Amino acid sequence: MNVSFARTWSKLTESMLFLPIAALLMIFAFDLIAIPGFFRLELKDGHLFGSVIDVLRNGSPTVILAMGMTLVIATGGVDLSVGAVMAIASSVACIMINPTITGMALTDPGLFLKDPQYSWAPLWMVIVVPLIIASLCGMWNGMLVSYWRIQPMVATLVLMIAGRGIAQLVTNAIKIIIFNDTYAYLGNGWIILPFSLYIAAAVFLAAWLLTRRTAIGLFVESVGINFRSSYYSGINERRIKLFAYTFCGFCAGIAGLIATSAIRTSDANQIGLYTELDAILAVVIGGTLMGTGGRFSLLGSAIGGLVIQATITSMLSFGVPASAIIAVKAVVVIVVILLYSEQAQKFIRGVGSVTMRGEAAR
Amino acid sequence: MIRALVARVEQHRKFLPLSATIALFVVVYLAGAYSFKAMQDGQAFFNLFVTTPFLIICVVGETFVIVSGGIDLSVSGILALTTVVAASLINMGWNPWVVFPVMLLMGMVFGVVMGFFITYLKVQPFIATLAGMWLARGLCYIISDSEVRIHDSLYTTLNQTKILIPGLADPVTKKGDYISYLVVVAMVVLFVGMFIAHLTKFGRTVYAIGGGNGANELSSRLMGLAVNRTKVLVYVISGFCSALAGITYSIYVGSGHGTHATGFELTVIAAVVIGGIALTGGEGYLFGALFGALITALIQSLIQFNGTLSSWWTYIFIGGLMLVFIGVQSVVAAWNSSAIGRARSGGRAGRKKEVVWYRTKAARGGAVALAVVLVAVVSINVVLPAMFPKTTTAVCKAQAMRPDQAKALSQGDAVIVYERNGGTTCVEELYAIYADGRIVSDHSDGNPKTTNVAAAQVTKIVTDITNQGWFTTAFYTTHHTPCAACYQYSLTVKANGVTKTVDAVDGGTDAPAAYWPITGQLAGLLGVQ
Repeated sequence: MNVSFARTWSKLTESMLFLPIAALLMIFAFDLIAIPGFFRLELKDGHLFGSVIDVLRNGSPTVILAMGMTLVIATGGVDLSVGAVMAIASSVACIMINPTITGMALTDPGLFLKDPQYSWAPLWMVIVVPLIIASLCGMWNGMLVSYWRIQPMVATLVLMIAGRGIAQLVTNAIKIIIFNDTYAYLGNGWIILPFSLYIAAAVFLAAWLLTRRTAIGLFVESVGINFRSSYYSGINERRIKLFAYTFCGFCAGIAGLIATSAIRTSDANQIGLYTELDAILAVVIGGTLMGTGGRFSLLGSAIGGLVIQATITSMLSFGVPASAIIAVKAVVVIVVILLYSEQAQKFIRGVGSVTMRGEAAR
Repeated sequence: MIRALVARVEQHRKFLPLSATIALFVVVYLAGAYSFKAMQDGQAFFNLFVTTPFLIICVVGETFVIVSGGIDLSVSGILALTTVVAASLINMGWNPWVVFPVMLLMGMVFGVVMGFFITYLKVQPFIATLAGMWLARGLCYIISDSEVRIHDSLYTTLNQTKILIPGLADPVTKKGDYISYLVVVAMVVLFVGMFIAHLTKFGRTVYAIGGGNGANELSSRLMGLAVNRTKVLVYVISGFCSALAGITYSIYVGSGHGTHATGFELTVIAAVVIGGIALTGGEGYLFGALFGALITALIQSLIQFNGTLSSWWTYIFIGGLMLVFIGVQSVVAAWNSSAIGRARSGGRAGRKKEVVWYRTKAARGGAVALAVVLVAVVSINVVLPAMFPKTTTAVCKAQAMRPDQAKALSQGDAVIVYERNGGTTCVEELYAIYADGRIVSDHSDGNPKTTNVAAAQVTKIVTDITNQGWFTTAFYTTHHTPCAACYQYSLTVKANGVTKTVDAVDGGTDAPAAYWPITGQLAGLLGVQ
């Protein structure tokens, strides 16, 4: 114990990444001791399998959602509608592959029977149109928040409630099954690692470049800290907010496409259910302050998303029944709350300062 | 005259959201009564209460939380946990009268813990109550994975006793309009809540700390009000109400399960918003919240009366209504701030310069938002179809079913009468299958064909269908508007002197699941796709 330790310690604990990484390491340490074979990796047909890969694969939609949510929360808002937007995007994608239920008779009714790979709209359109619609949904939230000045939680609640109804409306509440293998590749494909992981990495990279290699990130933080003074210093805070919500909708669209292609069905009731809560939790674990906004860390949020998924996967392999997982999540939230409370933060920082004081006394 | 009216409305603008809620309820109800004859029955009105006592109770608790500037997502979790724990305890042999207070205590404990986290650890209400919701739902499944039925005489009495409305019912024949005990409980909760909110020190403190984006809470603290105690108590009240709602819910459905009331917290919050209570806190009346709950129930029953609209339209309507009420509130807020500006600039003298409320940014934003909706509607209906022209032929016109002809056939010698209608090519096929293996197919083209299969095959299929439970309650007719490429079916089977017809439509999830293997088997016999 010396001064240099105290300095490193205070530097470490002040970093936004300290708590999320510590949490992830704690969970992995638990897995190492309690669950034999958790870290075993297997290579089958050129695909890497294992519990850790499961964490990465199942966590990637949450990570993608968390990217958009981070920006929104950093501007001092919140987006409750991402789950519903996921459902809308997946319904739109499925209806574009197979629009027969909308009352459209195909020229050849047996087309889907003869060729399961058939898709009514070209595949690039099946990807692009839902993303545009999801971005429009995000833009709608942004309009309400920035131009109509509605409290973010209220403004996005509207789409959260109505969105699932809209998603049902698109598919007439029928679960459309997708046979198209190319589309299913989004959620089921592997290039050594799961394909969805690459998508998550791409989204993370795009968000990082957008916010850290341009001034947008700085603007987002300044709007979150004080939107009025940002306005007076010449930042168009409304457009920044609008951008954050639109990006969040876009991310929700991607997550929706992955979710629907993973289960090969459009299920407007189940897709994205409660994922808004996961995404918010991931951002909060990542150290971005909810409610006040300001400084954000995309990497922190991504790790936060993995922390949630790692907890779920480890608990499942530990033998906790799937239906009780939600209670485990609640415990995670409570632990996070306690760790991030002022009292706990003071204590963690205190560990360093105590040693520093000890040095001074000597 | 108009100026005086506007001035009068402006003077009492705090009642604007409340009166908008009540007016909306009256208008929608009258419109419903005008279009649906069934709505004109007095019982249709009382049913709004009978089907939603738990909603009204939850809304009371949630209103306290929202007025204080917080939000409570744990409502549905505590509700579900209460149903499961109550059901389990009663099945263990506890007296319900002992179970009820224990449940209420459990709800209050949840409230105390969440309130403590929010008040003293400065956790966002959203996060803390979310943890409460997840914990409660998780505990449900840990206690019991499956549904726990409640068999208790008190439960039956409380659920089924009809309290006749004096003047609208005949006490001798026990017929007429009625409510249930649960409605009485809900009303008592509402009135006690109104008393607490408007006539006690605690209630005034709740209104004082809400709103102003946290500034009012600070002012209240500086004024020496018991802010911390009030904030915790607000969540205790909400926990109490959620538990009470859980008890009424378990009485209403007669069971406990972790999936009960999934997503109910959204309905509750929506009802509160529609009730004219500002989600920013500090404004709104419990009386309005009652009408918010009634409007939600009214939308649900209107959609049921309509018949062709599916249940998910409820959520779209509720979302739209929320938007309207948020608009009303921002108009009031704009009004308030312009009034404050006027007061600051010295009354009437400053009036000329004052910004009229309908020229404010809020109102302009509303216009922009409406324009966006309009563009969205137009693009969905006009632009998108133009961009993606239908490369396919239009849908054929669906032909009518022929129930009379089918009935005549089944009254004759046919053992199975099977009618299939619709599909992508709009077929209309009526098959009569006879015990001797003769199949007469009538494709409504005036040219019936007769084919033959082995008589044993017909006997086998009739036995199979009977063994599936055709003549039991497991098979029942369902009907909804079919999707364009879906088939409508009507199948009549005669065995051992009993005849039963069951109709179904493709694409719905409502038909008995065993129906589809039977139609598949028939398709095999008839040699159709």
